[in-house]
Amino acid sequence: MVSTIQNTDVKQKDADRAVVVAVTSRAVFESGADGDDVYGMGVAFPLLQALQRVNKRLLEENPAESLLFDVVLITTDSQQQQQSCRIISSTRHYGLEVSRFCFSSEEDFVESLQKNNVQLFLSTDSNEAPQASQKGVLSALLDRQEAPSEQLRVMFCGDAVNRPDAGPMPASRQAAQNFSAQLGEMRQRFGMSDSPLRIVLVTSHGGRESCGALRTLRSHGVNVDEAYCLAGAPRSPILSVVRPHFLLSDGFSGLED
Amino acid sequence: MCEVKPNNSAPTEDSGAERDWAAAKAVFDSLKTNKPRPPKPQYAVTIAVSSRTLFDMVAERKIYEDQGLEKYVAYQVEHESDPLLPGVAFPFVKALMNVNSRLRKLYPDSEELFDIVLMTNNHAQVGVRLINSINHYDLTIERFCMTGGKSPIGYLKAYMTNLYLSKDSEKVTEAIEEGIAAATMFMTQTETLSETQLRVAFDGDAVLFSDESEIIVKEHGLDTFFEHEKQFENKPLAQGPLKCFLEALGKLQRKFYAKNERMNCPIRTYLVTARSAASSGARVLKTLRSWGLEIDEALFLAGAPKGPLLQKIKPHIYFDDQMFHIQGANEMGTISAHVPYGIGQKYHKGKLIEQPAKKE
Repeated sequence: MVSTIQNTDVKQKDADRAVVVAVTSRAVFESGADGDDVYGMGVAFPLLQALQRVNKRLLEENPAESLLFDVVLITTDSQQQQQSCRIISSTRHYGLEVSRFCFSSEEDFVESLQKNNVQLFLSTDSNEAPQASQKGVLSALLDRQEAPSEQLRVMFCGDAVNRPDAGPMPASRQAAQNFSAQLGEMRQRFGMSDSPLRIVLVTSHGGRESCGALRTLRSHGVNVDEAYCLAGAPRSPILSVVRPHFLLSDGFSGLED
Repeated sequence: MCEVKPNNSAPTEDSGAERDWAAAKAVFDSLKTNKPRPPKPQYAVTIAVSSRTLFDMVAERKIYEDQGLEKYVAYQVEHESDPLLPGVAFPFVKALMNVNSRLRKLYPDSEELFDIVLMTNNHAQVGVRLINSINHYDLTIERFCMTGGKSPIGYLKAYMTNLYLSKDSEKVTEAIEEGIAAATMFMTQTETLSETQLRVAFDGDAVLFSDESEIIVKEHGLDTFFEHEKQFENKPLAQGPLKCFLEALGKLQRKFYAKNERMNCPIRTYLVTARSAASSGARVLKTLRSWGLEIDEALFLAGAPKGPLLQKIKPHIYFDDQMFHIQGANEMGTISAHVPYGIGQKYHKGKLIEQPAKKE
């Protein structure tokens, strides 16, 4: 059973142009005491604020801008579903720019994502993300961050970028390419410095191959801001310095990879 | 000062890091590359070089300063197939590569090698030209950090950097304050240097050793200094910012000695100090001995200018804390690197200089 409620507080985005990002309400809100009307701020809260900041700056550059982030809050948790009013009131309380609320069961949530034309699905649940990815929806795992930045920082894992196409492209890879192209276009609206959005590339390769990844992304309209070529070194020390909000690779990836 | 690569990390940390490394190795191996994998930072001697020290980017820098960031990046992208000219750290990097190939022949499986990392706060779009240039000269630099404007300090720590070379003295100062050996390099016209032996020259006080004795000279004069050094001849000096780097070089040198290659060792170290052998020199040698460190040649100048001697040595890099000596060495064609540490920063040729207000 899937149901969708529009948030009348927020202006709906252009369905053709907007980049639909679905985040689970479990990631955004923390269950507080039952007596409270409003939930606490969860792991994904800073991320939503960063997405909102990008939208705000995009509209400052061009008030008629239609390439914006369109945030959808998806609730699969049965407990939270019973508290749908609380989710909606908490969203309003914090002034979050969420355009739609989706409620579905654990079995149906991928269908819900597809129905809502979701281009990126973010969850703190390590089962949900791969499930969505297998059905062709680009997904990433969210984790608690220390000192998250105000600037939206998206990290691409470059090993996927260069892999030669062996056979038809998996649906999730096409989804990744589409999303990255849109992100690249958004990024171009801002200058080199003082951008509310930052694109970071990390590759396990050495230098030569990474050059190719930078060029390939550029040909898709994605101008990377920062690049880290690890040449076999593990990612975690770099991740703790770069602090991306989420990490994208072929279809599904987590911050701890 | 040597905390960057702890030898005795807790077992749980080790196994976590080992798993990380095993996993990363598996991914890297699956990428089917012919080039030897660069060594693990914890065993290697990691040298981070900036783009402007590795390559000559003087003209490009001018574009950045005159026309701004966007025009600069556009220029670099437009010329990304044109390899850049070698910079001041280029001979040093080639010498490091030579040592690596000698080490690989003697110890094919060892990860105790030089690991050269490009650490630049250039934008990743400029990175394409940098990578193309690195490939053009066939330099074995595989690890890059292109931070797009952010400070490199966090990354220096993440890569367990043993030495950081840059043209930007602010970044170098920041690195030293964080306990990472670092030096600011200056452009110079140099004669051809040895291609078979890496030569590294160090000043003593405030470079290998702390500035405790220099403080005595500056504040109480030379005579007090001589008396003090004689009195404390047997008390080791405290360590300075480059001590750990000398230690790292020594570790690699011993690998050659172990294989009977002492006479043909591709690393040679020099101490070039204004101290005199008769009076204040003994303390220096005893300090090195107490640290278990060797230095191949110790040159005590007793205050004579360093330039002519350095010209004879022809080091790939010379570290000194005083700009006065750096300039002198540079004028005579020696590649010098300034270590902004200690009381020497407040003086120029013996006179106290006005300190500019620290930038916020």
